[in-house]
Amino acid sequence: MPKILDFLKLVVRIAQVRPRFLLGYAIVLVAILAGLMAPLFSAYSPVTADSSHFLQAPSRAHWFGTDAVGMDIFTRTIYAPRIDLTIAVTGTLLSALVGSFIGAFVGYFSAGRGVRVHLSYAVMRAADVLQAFPVFVFAIALVASFGQSIETVVLAIAFVNAPIYLRLMRAQVMAIREMRYVEASLVAGLSDFKTILRHIIPNAMTPVLAQLSINVGWAILLTAGLSFVGAGVRAPTPEWGSMIAMGFQNMVTGQWWPSVFPGLALAVTVFGFSLVGLSIEVFADPIKRRALVRDLEIARRRAPPAAMSGPEGVLTAGEAP
Amino acid sequence: MPAFAQSIGLPPQNSAAVALLVERLRVEFPVLRGKPKVAIRDLDISIRPGEILGLVGESGAGKTTLARAILNLPPAPGRITAGVVQFDGVDLLRLSEGELQRIRGRDISMVVPNPRGELNPLVPVGVQLASIAQVHLDKDRHSARAMALEMLQAVQIPDPERRMRAYPHELSGGMAQRVVIAIALMCSPRFIISDDATSGLDVTVQAQILELLRHLVRKQSSAMLFITRDIGITAHFCDRVAVIYRGEIMEIAPRESFFLAPRHPYTMLLLAAFLHNPQLRRAWTPPDASVRANVDTEIGCAYTDRCPRARKICQTTKPLLAERISGHFVRCHFPLERE
Amino acid sequence: MRIILYIGRRLLFIVPQLLGIVLVSFLLVKSIPGDPAVLMLGPTATPDAIASLHRKLGLDHSLPVQFWIYLKNLAHGDLGTSWQTTRPVLEDLIQRFPATLELVSLGLLLAVLIGVPLGLASAFNERGWLAGIANFYGLGAGSLPDFWLALVLIFIFYTTLQWVPAPLGRIDLTIVPPPPVTGVLTVDALLAGDWQAFRSAAGHLVLPALTLGLINAGPILKMTQSSMEKMLQSDFSRYEVLCGMPRRLVVRHALRNALPSVVTIISVLYGFLIGGAVLVEIVFSWGGAGQYAVQGVLNSDFYPVLGFVLFSAIFSLFVYLVVDLIYFAIDPRISH
Repeated sequence: MPKILDFLKLVVRIAQVRPRFLLGYAIVLVAILAGLMAPLFSAYSPVTADSSHFLQAPSRAHWFGTDAVGMDIFTRTIYAPRIDLTIAVTGTLLSALVGSFIGAFVGYFSAGRGVRVHLSYAVMRAADVLQAFPVFVFAIALVASFGQSIETVVLAIAFVNAPIYLRLMRAQVMAIREMRYVEASLVAGLSDFKTILRHIIPNAMTPVLAQLSINVGWAILLTAGLSFVGAGVRAPTPEWGSMIAMGFQNMVTGQWWPSVFPGLALAVTVFGFSLVGLSIEVFADPIKRRALVRDLEIARRRAPPAAMSGPEGVLTAGEAP
Repeated sequence: MPAFAQSIGLPPQNSAAVALLVERLRVEFPVLRGKPKVAIRDLDISIRPGEILGLVGESGAGKTTLARAILNLPPAPGRITAGVVQFDGVDLLRLSEGELQRIRGRDISMVVPNPRGELNPLVPVGVQLASIAQVHLDKDRHSARAMALEMLQAVQIPDPERRMRAYPHELSGGMAQRVVIAIALMCSPRFIISDDATSGLDVTVQAQILELLRHLVRKQSSAMLFITRDIGITAHFCDRVAVIYRGEIMEIAPRESFFLAPRHPYTMLLLAAFLHNPQLRRAWTPPDASVRANVDTEIGCAYTDRCPRARKICQTTKPLLAERISGHFVRCHFPLERE
Repeated sequence: MRIILYIGRRLLFIVPQLLGIVLVSFLLVKSIPGDPAVLMLGPTATPDAIASLHRKLGLDHSLPVQFWIYLKNLAHGDLGTSWQTTRPVLEDLIQRFPATLELVSLGLLLAVLIGVPLGLASAFNERGWLAGIANFYGLGAGSLPDFWLALVLIFIFYTTLQWVPAPLGRIDLTIVPPPPVTGVLTVDALLAGDWQAFRSAAGHLVLPALTLGLINAGPILKMTQSSMEKMLQSDFSRYEVLCGMPRRLVVRHALRNALPSVVTIISVLYGFLIGGAVLVEIVFSWGGAGQYAVQGVLNSDFYPVLGFVLFSAIFSLFVYLVVDLIYFAIDPRISH
């Protein structure tokens, strides 16, 4: 119990010197909750057109207005995370899983001898080829050839991002492999496979986790982009990119609300995920970590005398009767 | 008149003859959870002009932190929380960044370890040397260059003309070490800090560089703080020797007294290790190190948990750095008694 | 001499890499469902007509044979024909690639002009208000969907303020474009001394370039900031401070060391944007190479896609090569 309390105190202190981290988690939480509990917040259906109320400006009845076919934009905007987040998170997790797993082995074997070295070299050159592709055209082509569906978009995201994790993990593993404990594990008789699983991957995870959160943001952008050109999720399924596309012509003619609101929701969500990624990065990057510790110390010194009694001060001061 | 100078028996009229005086210096490192770690605890040191003071301790004892704190640049994220560093009648810890800039590298300079990582990789060695002269001595480009070349010759770098144009990565470790020494000696500083300057060098090169440092210190009548992990070097290189443990001075004495009659248990252990004397080493290692509890170093002796002589009082009362015989100070409740 | 050897080795590696790229994209594009013959002849075509068109297009061969034929044609500079434009893909691309290049280059230039100074300013004073803005901008810019920002800019500057021409193409329809020399309209207009055409082309260029500039300034800013911070905290900067070097000298030296990472991110963005500016091209009906490729994918028009992938891959590899040569110039360690 005191351990959990200690941890919570630390979280509060960090939130005080890095409010943007808090903002990030709040945004992500709100996006997830909005998607999960959308029906509670809106009486409208996200997919039913009401042709008598089309292109209405934001009002009390329609907070974000209605689009060209009369669907309520607020409702569609809060339903959209269901699709966008699901696709982005699954796609990113898939790419991280596959990419970092391969990357770990490639990194581990690229310093050895024999067939494995040549194999890991070949994998790296294949990754080069994949990364030389123009990302967006590649993703569209993937969707086009495997058929337009949500699963394909997930697959395209996984495919496009996997080389990032492959490289990241490989670099990490190549550094860690030189450490003593890896040698110790091998000397102790563990197989290569078990050594990688037990000692290398856990120690190389932090940068991957930070990248993960940032990548979810990118994946949302890619999903929306695909839908925007009509190669992703199709209308009327509520999805931010396709909503922006639907409002395209209205925007030029002066009705800004069908595109602006979903775009804002999209941008804020992506922003939230990059903030969360930033907060994880602190643990992977010694420079950022040092800066955080320094700022925590400065904050502690600045705190009023009542809260000066050490790291607990922050909470005890608040709990005083 | 600083209290410490008095306590070590310097006559008051000689206070001008102190090159550098450190008093009650405290450096703390904040950590993510819990109280800050104290790296230097209320430390006192004084060095006279022309004197070489050796500072010995294991890694993590606070040697480098002390060296950088003297220049008011503790390693990040450390902070100097108390103390005085008096140089030339002024407290360096109270100077502005601009005032410090004029002192660093000119009046007080530092020889750093691992110099290849400390030299700017994209700037030729000669330019780095010359810019010191340009900044601190107001030399124009041409004479600064000439001075740099002269300095490289003084530290006996072979083919100095060519080395002037070399980049740091093109130098060997020993050569880079000499370049850093050349930079440190460029402005004839009155105080030199040598931080582990000779570790990792070949023994022959090491001897050469030490000889060079000593020669230059004597010639310019500078003072020097010579930090090392190798207690052996101090035996023939330093005038006085200090032992640091967990940010505190444990013993400080003139060379002869230090080596002929060491008094602190930790010093005994260091000497035993240096002499490769297993019997002596065992004698100065507690038989049941793991049994002892962690001692609060704020109130007790920092060495308690490793000390074979430790008793109850060591855990509850911190011993003072007390003078045993003239100039020989020991921080221990139960030091070795010698007649 | 060393540099020439290095370039030679790099070029040698490029050939198999390009082959790999062509192979993967060929397989990918061929697996797109949809028969170009059916699309070309329309729904009323007879099976005979379709079969004869298949023969004419070489679609009756097996995949490996088709790939071999494509490679052979490629060696002769023949990138195939687009059935949509009924023109050789090479001609189409030569016409469209400069449009994309013009947009992307100007966009990236804006991004550098915004990102580098902001990044430097915030690295010098990490507690100042400018650093606050830069931090926020660095994170925020990367979160904006470019196609949406383009629409918002259109709404503000075209629909509402009417400061810029309609977002339709690269030049007003009523203005005769200058004779193509470089394919870059603004440059061609200047070469022809046609001010009216130049003004129109530049006016059309403003918003799409601004969109790309505003968004891509984010990563440039962040890289400038973080590599500058890293260099200012590095051992050699600390040593320079220890030696009493004045702040501006320390900063200048740190900047030189930070430069390679900034150049890298710029080059990566350049390579990425050739294909990555597609959405902005579509919003502004730019008629660039990216848009051409996307239409190819959506209409089972294979050769434009293959041609575009090849073009942009060669362009990226070329940019990376140039960057490596820049490294040679700024970092003495590399030539070692």
